[in-house]
Amino acid sequence: MNICMLIFLFCLAVCMFAHGSWKGRGRRGGGFGHRHGGSMLSVDYFAYASALRKWNAVFKAVFATACLLLCIILNNIYVSILVILVMGYLTVVIGGMSFRQYLSMMLVPVVFLLLGSVAIAAGFSMEPAGQYQLRVFGLFYIYCSDASLLRAAELVLKALGAVSSLYMLTLTTPLGELITVLRKAHVPKVLVELMHMIYRYIFIMLDTHSRMKNSAESRLGYVDFKTSCYSFGQVASNLLIVSLKRGNAYYNALESRCYDGELRFLEEEKPVQGRQIALAAGFVILLFCVWLLGKYMN
Amino acid sequence: MMLKRREKLSILAFALLVVFAVAPVSNAMHIMEGYLPVTHCVLWMVVCLPFLVLGLVNIKKVLRDDRRTLMVLALTGAFVFVLSSLKIPSVTGSCSHMTGTGLGAILFGPCVTSILGVIVLLFQAVLLAHGGLTTLGANCFSMAIAGPILAYAVYKLCCKMNVNKKVTVFLAAFLGDMFTYCVTSVQLAAAYPSEVGGFGASLVKFLGIFAATQIPLAVIEGILTVVIVIALETYAKNELRSLSF
Repeated sequence: MNICMLIFLFCLAVCMFAHGSWKGRGRRGGGFGHRHGGSMLSVDYFAYASALRKWNAVFKAVFATACLLLCIILNNIYVSILVILVMGYLTVVIGGMSFRQYLSMMLVPVVFLLLGSVAIAAGFSMEPAGQYQLRVFGLFYIYCSDASLLRAAELVLKALGAVSSLYMLTLTTPLGELITVLRKAHVPKVLVELMHMIYRYIFIMLDTHSRMKNSAESRLGYVDFKTSCYSFGQVASNLLIVSLKRGNAYYNALESRCYDGELRFLEEEKPVQGRQIALAAGFVILLFCVWLLGKYMN
Repeated sequence: MMLKRREKLSILAFALLVVFAVAPVSNAMHIMEGYLPVTHCVLWMVVCLPFLVLGLVNIKKVLRDDRRTLMVLALTGAFVFVLSSLKIPSVTGSCSHMTGTGLGAILFGPCVTSILGVIVLLFQAVLLAHGGLTTLGANCFSMAIAGPILAYAVYKLCCKMNVNKKVTVFLAAFLGDMFTYCVTSVQLAAAYPSEVGGFGASLVKFLGIFAATQIPLAVIEGILTVVIVIALETYAKNELRSLSF
């Protein structure tokens, strides 16, 4: 019985937190919660500022992917908690990111997590089932069992573990370096080239967009819902038109610099340290041990 | 077993909270990192593969004829990403985003959209933390393949039947979005069938719960796509011609 109350309180706390975080979105500078859609992407900013940036990108990618996959495959609560803690430690303490910012990043997928887990934890049926149930309008029952609650809790922790491994990679590695990792993994050349170009154009477009939005806003373009819809559409379509008109000029600029169908970027050499590999391998083995221990205990 | 009154109330209050406090903050249709079991991740990636290869071959063919198109592709890819990262106007003052599925399909056709879509989804996972690496296959299928194909089919069909242009674009974007949401629910239900009733009951649950965020979003996305397409047709007839591959 008390589980219901506990879950309710937990959800309430998360709701309040999420609510507060998006209310703070509009504030400049000090606001809590991540903002994007301005002329800057927060994840990109954190990646460039992180102290972990000087680690080898391939090593980080392999390590993060390994932890992510182990989290999903082993499907064990203790493994998930361990991954969350260690990845958080790497990103926040060693990478030097502020804890508040990290927390607000962790809250990004919270809506999906909440809605999806409610769907898994609760079910409905015509007859009473499970340990807890609620009759709705005398028509059917919404029920909830200990097993399904446990399943939902496991899933939430597993997903958070996977997200924290992904963040260890993306919050410490600029996208340019990640694309280089993909190139080394022999992803088709056209795709890699497109990615490099898209990454560059994103910032040009965000900048152009924020200017257009400012000027629309200063002319009361966003006073009410109807006007905002109109302004949003106008700004968005104009963004595409302006960019396409510039596209020709970009290509000419490339050709005048001897573009022959291949783009080359400066790649910094970042050697991997033996200590890093040893620690990473040790951590992966530890995860396996925890998993085996959990299996043995059951 | 009867629940005590207070507990009943608490559950009801929680349901209300979920619906009214959190639901409007939505970008809920990207399946988050780590939410699908490994077998499902691999399965959906394999399902996506033929479409991606088809798109890649198509793009390579276009590029062999005219290298300049690469620039147009990169710009449109960046445009779809930026569009999906913008906060769209909403009545409650909350924060939600467009998917750009319908617009992409109407402007570039489903083949190119699949390739641009997979890149945009990867960038969204990395730069915006929407979606994830292991769920890329599942997200790619619902947002870059299934949604655009339906939107494109609806668009072509309505054009053939001489339906009003605004209605056509609205229907294509709205139905594309709704279809994306249905496919995502199917994916989630297949991964997490419910204890009583199995896949069917689970599907109804996911459809029902995510409807709170997705139906208003699909309507707004439809309206915005109409405004964008009409503006593009008015001011950029020539540029649009360079987009039709």
